[in-house]
Amino acid sequence: MREMVAGLEIHVELSTASKIFCSCSTEFGAKPNTHCCPVCTGQPGALPVLNRAVVEYAIKAGLALNCEINRRTHLDRKNYFYPDLPKAYQISQYDEPLCAGGYIELKSGKRIRLKRIHIEEDAGKLIHERGYTYIDYNRGGVPLIEIVSLPDISSSAEAREFVEKLQLIMRYIGVSDCKMQEGSLRCDVNISVKDGEGPLGVHTEIKNLNSVAYMASAMDYEFRRQCEVIDAGKKVEKATLRYDVSSGETLPMRTKEDENDYRYFPEPDVPPVEIGDALVSEIEGSLPELPMVKINRYINDFGIRPQSAELICRYHKVAGFVEDAVSCGANAKNAVNMTLGTIFSTLNTEEDKENFDIKVSPAGFAALIKLYDEGKINSGAASSALMKMLETGKGVEDFIKPGDMKTLSDDELSEICRKALEENEDAVREIKNGKVKAMGAILGGVARAAKGKADMKKAEELIKKFIYE
Amino acid sequence: MTKEDIKSLARLARLQFDDDEAERFISEMDEIIAFADAVNLEVEGDTSTVKLEGEALPYEKLRADETQPSFPNEKILSGVEGEDGYFTVKRIIK
Repeated sequence: MREMVAGLEIHVELSTASKIFCSCSTEFGAKPNTHCCPVCTGQPGALPVLNRAVVEYAIKAGLALNCEINRRTHLDRKNYFYPDLPKAYQISQYDEPLCAGGYIELKSGKRIRLKRIHIEEDAGKLIHERGYTYIDYNRGGVPLIEIVSLPDISSSAEAREFVEKLQLIMRYIGVSDCKMQEGSLRCDVNISVKDGEGPLGVHTEIKNLNSVAYMASAMDYEFRRQCEVIDAGKKVEKATLRYDVSSGETLPMRTKEDENDYRYFPEPDVPPVEIGDALVSEIEGSLPELPMVKINRYINDFGIRPQSAELICRYHKVAGFVEDAVSCGANAKNAVNMTLGTIFSTLNTEEDKENFDIKVSPAGFAALIKLYDEGKINSGAASSALMKMLETGKGVEDFIKPGDMKTLSDDELSEICRKALEENEDAVREIKNGKVKAMGAILGGVARAAKGKADMKKAEELIKKFIYE
Repeated sequence: MTKEDIKSLARLARLQFDDDEAERFISEMDEIIAFADAVNLEVEGDTSTVKLEGEALPYEKLRADETQPSFPNEKILSGVEGEDGYFTVKRIIK
C-alpha cells in the first residue's frame, strides 16, 4: 500500500502596523515603493531595529499552536542573490527559532506535529513583463512567521483541514488576516511516497501555493505522478516544483541561483532577544477562546448541531455577533439558525462572511429573535423582517407593526385548526397510524389560513389534542 | 577561487569580465579570503559550537509597533533605473 507523506511550510504575514525592522507601514495595496525607506530597501549603513509586536504576535501564535517558547532567540542572515531581496540576504532565524514543537489536532483526533515557528522578513514583489522585471519593495520587510510541520500529513484532505484550522486560529488570536488572495498566507508542500513498510521516498517541494484548493489538487497530482514514476521502475528525483493552475500539473521551477547554499550566519545588526517567563504567561493569559473550544461550547451550551457550530465559529465576527445577541436575550438556537439561514443568504462570498459588515446590531437582532421566541411572529415573518432590517439598517419595530404581532385568539386558532383537520383527513389517519411527519401538511394549512398570525407552537398542541381527544 | 567561481559571481552580479580580468580577480579574491581567514586563526579549537555571545536585549526594550512616514517614491528611486514607481531590472525569468 502506498501512502502520501507530506509536510507543510506555511508563511503567515503578521498584521502589525509597521514592518519588522523599520517604521514603514505594512498596509496592503499601496502604490509601488511608497512604503519604503533606507532600511527596507537595503541601503548601505541602514540598521534594522526589531519590532516588539512581531515577537509578541509570534509568541501568541506559538502558544495557540501548543509550542514551547524559547526564552532566548536570535536572528540569522539567509544569503541568496535575487532582486526581491535588496540586501542580498533575508533576516530570518536558523538555529534558535522563537517557537519549537507544537501541533494542530484534526477532527479525527490525529495530531499534525509542528517542528518550529520562526520570524522573518518578507521579500519584495516581482512582476515580470516584457523585457523587464518590475520590483515593488512595499512588501519587503513585512513581518512573517514561518510555520513548519513535520511530515505527518497523509492526504490532501488532511492538509486542507490543517491549513483551514491554522487560518482560523491565526484570525481568532488576531495576528494575521490570513487572506490567501492577498498573499498573507502562502504554502509550500514537501511530498513523498511511502511504499508499504519500505523507507520514505525522495521528496519534492511544491512552492508558493496560494489557495487551499490549489494546494489540495497539486498534492493529489504530485502523489499520482510520483507513483507513476515508481511504477515505471524509475526513481523520484528531488526537485522544486510549481503548480500550474491551467494545466493542473506540477512543473519544475526555475530555481534561485545557488539556492541550496544559504550560508546562514548570526545577524550581527540585531541583538539576540531575551523573553521572560512573565511575558509568556501574560501573553498566554491574553489569548481569546480558541475556535475548537468555542465550537464545543456552542454544541454543549446552545444545543446546536456540530455542523452549525462549525459554520458559525468559522468566522470570528459571526461568532461574536451571535454571542452578543444571545447575551441580549435571544434564544441561542434561533439566533444561530436565523444567522445561518437569513443573514448568510445575503453574504455571498467567503470574504463577505469574514468581514460580516451588516447593518443589524446584535441587540436589534435579539429584539427580533425574542418576538419569534415568544411566538408573537412566525418564522416567515421573522425572516422577511430580518431581510428588510439588513437592507435598511432600521430596527424590527419598523417592519413588524403591533397589528402583525397580534396573534389570533385561542378561539380563532382553534377554529382554524379544526378546519385544517377536516381538510386533511388523510393526514389525520396517517398520524393516528404513527406517521408523525404528516403533521406538516396540517400545520401548513393552519399557517396559510392564519396568514402568519398564528402561534404555531400552540397550533401544534391544539391539533394533537384534537386528534387524540 | 577558480575562474568558474569568478565567472559565476560575475554572472550573478550581472558584470562582464574578460579572461585577463577574471585571472586578476582570482588572486585578489584569494587575498581577501585569506584576510578573513586570519580571524579563524585567532579562534582556537572547534568553532562550530561557539554560541552567539553578547548582550541579549530584553523584549521590553524592542521598538514599539508604530509607523513613521516612509520616504517619497522619487527619493527611493533616485539614482536607479525605474518606471511607474517600480525599480526595473533586466527580466530575470523567461
